[in-house]
Parts: sequence; structure tokens; C-alpha cells
Amino acid sequence: MSRKVHVQTQINGENVEFLCEPRQSMLEVLRNELDLTGAKEGCNNGNCGACTIIVEGRPVNSCCMLGVEAEGKEIQTIEGVATPEGLHPLQQKFLEHAALQCGICTPGFIMNAKVLLETNPNPTEEEVRFWLAGNLCRCTGYDKIIRAVLDTTETTGVSTNG
Amino acid sequence: MEKFSYINPARLEQVPGLLKDDWQSKVIAGGTDLLGEMKDYIESPKRLINLKSIPGLDQISADDGGLTIGAMATLTDITEHSEIQKNYTALAEAAGVVASPQIRNVGTLGGNLCQRPRCWYYRDPDTDCLKKGGNMCYALSGLNKYNAIFGGGPNYIVHPSDTAPALVALGAEVTILGAGGQRTIPLENFFILPTVANPYRENILEPNEIITQIHLPKPIANTTSFYIKLRERSSFDFALVSIAGVFQTQGKKCQDLSLILGGVAPAPWRSNEAEQVLRGQVISDDLGERAGKAAVKNADPMSDNAYKVTLTQNLVKRAAVMAVS
Amino acid sequence: MADGNGYKVVGTRPIRHDGVDKVTGRAKYGADLNFPDMLFGKILRSPHAHAKIVSIDVSRALAHPGVKDIVTSKDLPILSENILAEDKVFYKGHAIVGLAAVDVHTAEEALSLIDIEYEVLPAVTDVAKAIREDSVVLHQSLTTNTLGEKTGKPTNISSHVRHQNGDVEAGFAEADVVVERTFTTQTVHQGYIEPITATAKYNPDGELTVWTSTQGAFNVRQQVAGILDCPASKVRVVPLEIGGGFGGKTTVYVAPVAALLAMRTGQIVKVTMTRDEVFEGTGPAPATLIRLKMGATKDGRITAADTDLFYEGGAYPGSAVGAGANCMFAAYKIPNLMIDGFDVVVNKPSSHAYRAPGAPNSSFAAECVIDEICQKLDLDPLEFRMINGAKEGDRNPIGPRHGKIGYLETVEAAQTHDHYQVEVGNGKLRGRGVASGYWGNGAGRSSVNLTVNQDGTIMLLEGSTDIGGTRASIAMQAAEVLGIAAEDVRPAVVDTNSIGETGVTGGSRTTHATGLVAIRAAESVIEQMKEKLADHWEVNLNQVDFADGTFLNSDNQISFKEAARICSPVVGSVTESTTGAGGAFGTHVVDVEVDEDTGKVEVLRYTAVQDVGTAIHPSYAEGQIQGGAVQGIGWALSEEYVYDQKGQMVNASFLDYRMPTSYDTPMVDTVMVEVPNPGHPFGVRGVGEVPLVPPLAAIANAVSRAIGVRMTHLPMNPGSVLKALNKI
Repeated sequence: MSRKVHVQTQINGENVEFLCEPRQSMLEVLRNELDLTGAKEGCNNGNCGACTIIVEGRPVNSCCMLGVEAEGKEIQTIEGVATPEGLHPLQQKFLEHAALQCGICTPGFIMNAKVLLETNPNPTEEEVRFWLAGNLCRCTGYDKIIRAVLDTTETTGVSTNG
Repeated sequence: MEKFSYINPARLEQVPGLLKDDWQSKVIAGGTDLLGEMKDYIESPKRLINLKSIPGLDQISADDGGLTIGAMATLTDITEHSEIQKNYTALAEAAGVVASPQIRNVGTLGGNLCQRPRCWYYRDPDTDCLKKGGNMCYALSGLNKYNAIFGGGPNYIVHPSDTAPALVALGAEVTILGAGGQRTIPLENFFILPTVANPYRENILEPNEIITQIHLPKPIANTTSFYIKLRERSSFDFALVSIAGVFQTQGKKCQDLSLILGGVAPAPWRSNEAEQVLRGQVISDDLGERAGKAAVKNADPMSDNAYKVTLTQNLVKRAAVMAVS
Repeated sequence: MADGNGYKVVGTRPIRHDGVDKVTGRAKYGADLNFPDMLFGKILRSPHAHAKIVSIDVSRALAHPGVKDIVTSKDLPILSENILAEDKVFYKGHAIVGLAAVDVHTAEEALSLIDIEYEVLPAVTDVAKAIREDSVVLHQSLTTNTLGEKTGKPTNISSHVRHQNGDVEAGFAEADVVVERTFTTQTVHQGYIEPITATAKYNPDGELTVWTSTQGAFNVRQQVAGILDCPASKVRVVPLEIGGGFGGKTTVYVAPVAALLAMRTGQIVKVTMTRDEVFEGTGPAPATLIRLKMGATKDGRITAADTDLFYEGGAYPGSAVGAGANCMFAAYKIPNLMIDGFDVVVNKPSSHAYRAPGAPNSSFAAECVIDEICQKLDLDPLEFRMINGAKEGDRNPIGPRHGKIGYLETVEAAQTHDHYQVEVGNGKLRGRGVASGYWGNGAGRSSVNLTVNQDGTIMLLEGSTDIGGTRASIAMQAAEVLGIAAEDVRPAVVDTNSIGETGVTGGSRTTHATGLVAIRAAESVIEQMKEKLADHWEVNLNQVDFADGTFLNSDNQISFKEAARICSPVVGSVTESTTGAGGAFGTHVVDVEVDEDTGKVEVLRYTAVQDVGTAIHPSYAEGQIQGGAVQGIGWALSEEYVYDQKGQMVNASFLDYRMPTSYDTPMVDTVMVEVPNPGHPFGVRGVGEVPLVPPLAAIANAVSRAIGVRMTHLPMNPGSVLKALNKI
């Protein structure tokens, strides 16, 4: 009754197929079946955001999603954010602002912040803080993360206030 | 997590039949609450029926009669919906302060209304509490900081939903699909308080029933609504106490109102006492104060949660004053 | 030159060397390694806070398809009770059985098939109760070591130490104002986002490899070898990237079990804790009960202090009460002092280091009482600290004399900061709090290996795991000496077979100690290159000089890079037990607003001043200060282990254990005062621990001033603040 299920999905622009048990989370599939370990497991219960991926354009906790639910979906993970041409502006700003210390929460923050800037290219500090409240960071005190995100809005040209 | 099979029905009508009536099957919507329960062995269904595979259940549509929201609309869909923001502000605000963006992106309205309590004892895999078929509510004599001050007994959970108080205050109706077809009832009657005979559930759904949609009546002129949530963290936290207020006003006079409290009772809790104080009256600070006192007149706090009485009283006052300012 | 300090690299802000891997998800953290035939381990943990283990029957679990092996404490070559309990469990979450299975779900299923019969014992989880005569006693063999004497009577108090100088009674008699208060702090967790994890491989030739996330690979080697009773030389520990530690990853939990299972099955075994296991099965910071009486003259001079410190060791002795005592009054001159420190066992996880272990608790008491004295004397709290604050040559009231320190400089910087100049605001319940804090900082053993490449770049191997930017801060120190760019030094954290012994990344020692060793290695490289160039130029060694990145003699002048082409290969390898750590102080200023209707405390503005000696990479030094301050906000306002009447933690999740989110916190303005540490060539002082010391008191003082009621218990959440306001 719970044989493995064949799932076809798209991850970072590539068609991907995998087998998984229904009880395997998308996070577990990414990490253990596909060896995409950029999404991290901090809590396995949607409480820390370290496993954030983008599904159909929206950030979600991959630990709260089943692998079988990836069927037919378009998924982005941290591994697909940089291009051969270089880092995404957010990644660059995280480095310039020293917005990471241990770095375990960084992939989740970048995935979540990426969608924030795509939907709200010119957020206020308040909006950035509210949006990123689903991602816990224990090292930085958030200060430099918030600055990195705000600085990205000013430099990437995605601003609508242009 | 126990093993289960995962079923993708193509049509809504199939769902009651797939669910059967033995509680062994469950529908999964966003899954953010259910999967957590399954990971902790609080629930171990044999079959999950995926509602995401059914087209159209997430629609939000305005019509002459008001607004209809599919049960699978996500909390993000709701909080970002301009019509809801404008005419059903309490709902937009409530949906917007649930958990985190990542959870609001998958969490659905139906799921938010049906989510299970956060009581520590209920959520502890090793505690066989009354809600899980055991024979006592450990909160009563144990830790009850986050438990009920109204409507408790024989268990003392609080209903964790943010959207429920807002929808009840807005006069929502809920449509339920079961083996015998559909029925629509006031959402206020959907939620139930625990009884000795049935301490297990928070609503009237039978094992083979699901919520399919929520209907909101057309807004009445001169009506404002809002949702205020008090919590320990400023974000990503459940309510200590919340309040959904719908006020029909003329100047500072409150013609009619609905005040529903969250986080204080096993179901969304209408404060009839506060409503009576405010209805038909010109609202002043003093009247707000009286409404707050009336709201908690019948509160029945336990060892650790008397602070919720204070919070409730102050929040009712704040809501009343806010409605006319 | 950077900031006019005469350095070229030190004090600049290069991109960290490991940064790109970390922002692209490519960096491999503790749990990120997968092997084709890998087994997944799980640990069965006690559901009881205190119980005798009557029997363990693993037969059903062993018969479960997919289960490969099961171990208990009997299988450990050397018993280690906190790794796998022997015949008693002392806290909920105490590890009892380890097993390995083909996948994580099968392993989890098997846990439920292990039958353990317990004889449940009454539990005590509160230090105030545990010290009473009639308390449940955890360890019959434990007797108090009182002031060096054994009492011989079973008790929960494992040790009582006393520090005394002057005449306390005379001091109080001299005082115009005396304040006495009792404080409690709750159990809190380090809260690192990456759970504890270890992966082990055992080869038939007896070589054991452990991949793990740790603050100290050599510690893991030592502990694993000790428990498995094998030579440390047979154990190779590979430190992967580490997802936070804050002191919590300076010991082992699952690594010995993973190793034992790998030895017995011959397969690679990975054991990763779940979040609730992390809360319940690893060492949090101790809860404390502290009584403090302090007196001062009306012109603001401290005359005496008398304190009792009760620290929870958790299941076993070993709380940080000693460090708590040491740091408590380090900032002040106190002529008459009595400190009694007690280490107390309770039925909670064995307490462990958390950022400045012991110091935040005791400083909370000291700095709050000082604030109350200031209020009673109507004295500005920073002015009071200028009067009583320690400077070079003053004695830490219970320790040696301070060397060159920058405490008063932090107070002055706080006084003149814009934050302290503007009013806190009115109309609402607002208050401003200040507090100071101290940490002695560490030095100790570190090793660095520098290899000069043909192109003039450097490979830097080190044993210090990089928890927050130390690859950069250490590489920069080598680069400064060599006269090359930070980017030209390529640091790598390597395994225990590839570098000399190195202590933990902890105690705020790494940038000082490993940095100092990197400087020595760089100096060795230069000496060797001078020798080679002397040969090359056919001159005497003493005719070759090195300055500003240039080798020269009377006829030649070449850059380091040109010299590298001539001289490589050159290897500079240094291992050294360093000394010279400089203690450091911080002073924090915080404004809060209290909602009188709800008791909710909002932090409006936060400024953290700290003497960092010399900031090598200022961004990462600032980051340490900001992170520590926000951990302090969590400790002060929202974090706590909640225990029920059976001694069970009920809130072991990131939802119910409330660490601050980005929406709970303001920007943290950092002011780095630089009073160079003479014990380090560039003046480095440890930075990481200090910023968690002042916040508890700074915030409590702000809340107390806002609401006009002294706050003495943490956390100050809505319920407790409403109670203080007498509104419940």
C-alpha cells in the first residue's frame, strides 16, 4: 500500500524523475535521494525556514511538503540560483555585507528573500523583517541580513520606483 | 511517521467515498499541520486524500450574494486579495498573520479552520491525553499557560485558528460535502466545544466530510472590521489572545457589532457580554473599559493563565476604541 | 592602509573565502554527506525524567526488516553515561539505545519496537528544590565537595566554592544604600540551527573515520577514542561545515554511537538528531538561582557585595558556576566581597557551554542590583560605572590583576553615543537600560600549516573549525605578515590527520590563538624564504630583509610573489600552546517600550559597545556582537525550557521555544572600541562571548525603569510583565 511512487518534476529548470515513499518529505527527497543538500533540515516542522525552496514561484518549507507533491511542479532550490555567469545579486550582497556567519540558514534566507524581491522589489525594512520572520538565524542577529536584502533592492535595478 | 498511501482524486465528488468513515483516511490540503501531527504520531492515517489535485477548489469569487472562497485558497491568496482587503479586512488581516510566509503559501483556508490544537499535552507523542482518547486533560492540573479561560471542560484546549474568529465575526457560512451531499451552515455552528461524550474534535465534521467553501455575505455600509493578535513573538507565533471585530458605526455610535475572541476557548468565542455593552451605544474609553470588564466577567482561568483574562479585557477595550477612531 | 592603523589587511572587510560555497548551497555541513551503502542511526531516549532501567529488550526491533544493529551501554567499551545510559536515566531525552537501519523511517519504526521496563522515580527539575534537605537525590554517590572538604552525605549539591576578600559586614556598615534581591534565570538552549550529527566509517584495518559538525575535531577524536577504547591515532575526525554551535558543539553526543554501529556493521552510519532531540538530549545553559546583596556609599562607591550562586549542572555535576563567579564583578573594584558558588544536579540534560558560559546569569544579578542602587542614589548608571569600573592594574575582585583592558573606554563610548544622548521618549511605558559584561577569553593549542605556491599564493591549513568567519580572520593575519592580499591566502579547515592538534573553536579563542599561530607560521615562511633568497642572491642571510611585502638586499628588491617563484616550495608549520588572551568588556544600552495592556516588551533601540582589541575583519566582529545581543534578547524576553510536574520538557520545538525572529529585533548598532591586547601581535581580543553577557540585565533594567517595578525573573514575557504590573 505504500510502495514507492514515481514522480516527475522540474527542478532548477531540469526535468527530474525520482522514486519516493509517500511519507518522504520533499526535503528528504532533495537531500537523500537527489543529493541536493543545499536545503537544510533545522527542525523538520516548518518552524525554522532552513529548508525553504521555491515551488511555483512561492517560497515554501520543503519539510512540510511531501515528495509526491512535487509531481508536475516547477521547483527552484538554492543550487539553481547562481548562474554560470555569476552569483545572484542577493548572494553577492550577502557576501559583501557579511550576512552569514555559520551559513546554515543562508540558503533558506536567500530563497525566501528572492521571492520577496520578485514580488515587492522595493520593500521597507519593516516589510523585509516581516517577510523573513519565517527564517530563523541564530548567529547574525539579523542586522546584516536585513541590510543585505535592502541593499540588493537598491542596486539590482529591479526597483519599480526607478 | 507511519506508512500511508497517497491518493489523488480527480473530482470532488469522489472524496467522501474515498474517506470512508473510519477515521483511517484523512484529506491533506496544505499539510503544514497534518504532516507535523503525523511526524509526531499524533495522527497516523492509512490513506491521505490529496485535495490539491482537484481543480477549482482554490477559487475566490465575488458575486451578488457576497464572496465565495474555496477551501483550498491559500492564506497568501486571501491576504493579498484586494476585495478581501477592502471589504473583509478582518479576514485579510487574520490570514496575513498566520505563521510565516512559507506556511501561508501552502496553508489553506479549510486547513486553517480545521487545524488541531497546540496544547503541549496534545502535541506530546508520549502523553495520552483526553483529546487523544486518554482519560484526563493534563492541562487542568498541569501546565495551562496557553489554555482556555472560557468554555473549557472536559478539556481545555484553545482553538488555534486566526481565520476562524475573523470569519465568524464576518458572518461566514461554510459549505460541507459528505456522502449525502452538500450542506451549508453558519460557520459559528461549525465549531463545537468539548463534551464528555465527545472531547476529541473541534468541529462537526464527520470522518467522511470536508469543507468545500466559505461564503461571506455582502458587506453592510459603514462597517469596518479588523483582527488584532497578541502573541509572545511579534511574528510566527500563535495567539495568546486575539480578537476579530466587525463594527457598524455612525460617528462614534456603534449600531451593531460582532466580537469574536481567539486563543481563549476551545472554539472561536463570541463575547456576547461585551457586544451587549457596546451595541447601540456611543463608544468612549469608559464604555470600552466596561465592555472589557463584561467580556471577562465569566472567565474561568486556571493556575497559569490568569494573565489571559487581563489580555482579553484590555484587547476588547482596545478593539472598541479602535472601531470608532 | 586600512583605517589608518598602519595595517594593510587587518581591519579591512574582504569577502570571506568560504562565502561562495555557503551562499550557493554547496558547502557541506554535518548532515550533508551521503554514501551509497549508508545506514541511518537513531537513538531511543528516556520518556521519563528520572527512572531506573529494569530491563531492555531489543529483540522485536532487531527482527524488524531493515534493522541492522542495536547497541546499548553494555556495548560501549568504556561506559559513558551521557552517551548511553547504564542502569538509570536522569532526564527526559537521556539516550539509552542506538540502532542502525537502512533508512531513517525504518530506524524510527524500530525505536517503537524496543521494550524498556522502567521503575519511575520522583524527579526534581528546579534548583531551588534540589538544594533542599528533603529533595529527591539523583546520585547516591554524590556528596558535596564543600570548600575542599567532602561532607560524605548524599546530596544534589556537587560542589561549593567560596571567594572571599575584605570584610563584607564592615563593607555593608559603610554603605549608605544596600540592595538585596533574588534572581532566577531559566534553562535556555544555544539554539544552533543545525542539529547534532555524525557519520562514521570503520575499515577492517581498524581505521575509524568520523565526519561531523563540531567546534573541535580533536576533542571529538579524543572523546570517541576514549569511549571506544581505541588509540586516538586510529580515529580520523573530518570536521564538516558547522551550522552554529555557541559552545553546544564542544562535546560529543551521537558520534560515539555512530562509530560503534559502524564498527559492528561494517557499513557507514549516519546519526542525526531531530530538533526535539537537540532540545531534550543535548546540554543547554543552566538555570540559576542567585541571591545578591550589594552596598554603596551615597557618592556611588561600591563598598561590599555578598552573593550565593546556585547553578544547575543538569543530570551530572559540571555547571559553569565557576566562570559565573569569575565574571560577575570583573568590571568593578569591590573592596569587600563574598561569593558562594554551588553546582547542583537536577533531572535535566547535563548542562553545557553556551556563549560566555555562566557569565550572563551572574551578570544579570550584578548589573540589575547596580542599576537599582543607581536609582536609589539618583546616579546615572554609566557614571556609576565610571566611578567603580576597573582599569589596568585593578584586581578582578576574585582573580588576578587586569592587564591592559578597555572597560572604561566602553562606558565612555556608550555615554557619548547618540543613543545615550537622546531621550528615550515619553507618553508610553518606555525605559532605557544599561549593563556591562566581561569574558576572560581563551588561548591554548592551535596549529597552522602554510604552503607557499609558485604563484605567490598561500595554502593555509588549520584545525580550527570555522563557525563564523575565522577562515577569513586567520587568513588575514597571515596575509598581513606576508604582505599579500587576504584573497591570496586560501584557508582550509582540515581533518585531524592533516594538521597538528588544535583546541575548540570556542571561548573566543580562535582569532587570537589560531591567528597568533598563523602569524608565527607566516614568520617562519619569511625566514625560510630569506634563507633561500640569500642563497639565490649569494649573500649572507643577515643581508636579506623583508618589509612591506618586499624582500630586499642592497642590490635586489622583489615582491613576495616574485620571491615565491624563486623559493617555493616553502612550508611553514607551527603548533603552539598560546597564551596572552586579553579579557574583554562590553557595555550595552537598550531602549524598550512596554505595552501596559498586554505586557509585551518591544526592543526599540539597541547599542552594543565592546572592546574588541583589534578587529581583524570588522564585519564579522560586528556580527558576533549583533548575534550575541539578539540571543540575549531571546534569553531576556521569550526563550525558556518549560517543565511539567513530571519533569518533562513540554516545548521542545522551534515553535514553542521562542527564539527571536527578524520581526522581533531592531538593528543592533555596534561600537567597537579598540584597546589592543598586548598578548597578541595585532592586539586581538576574543569577541564572541562578551556580547551575550550584558543583554539580560540591560533589557531587565530597561523594563524595570519603564514600568517602575524591578524585574528579577526571566523571561520577561507578557504573562510575567503583566504580573509585575500587578494586573493579574
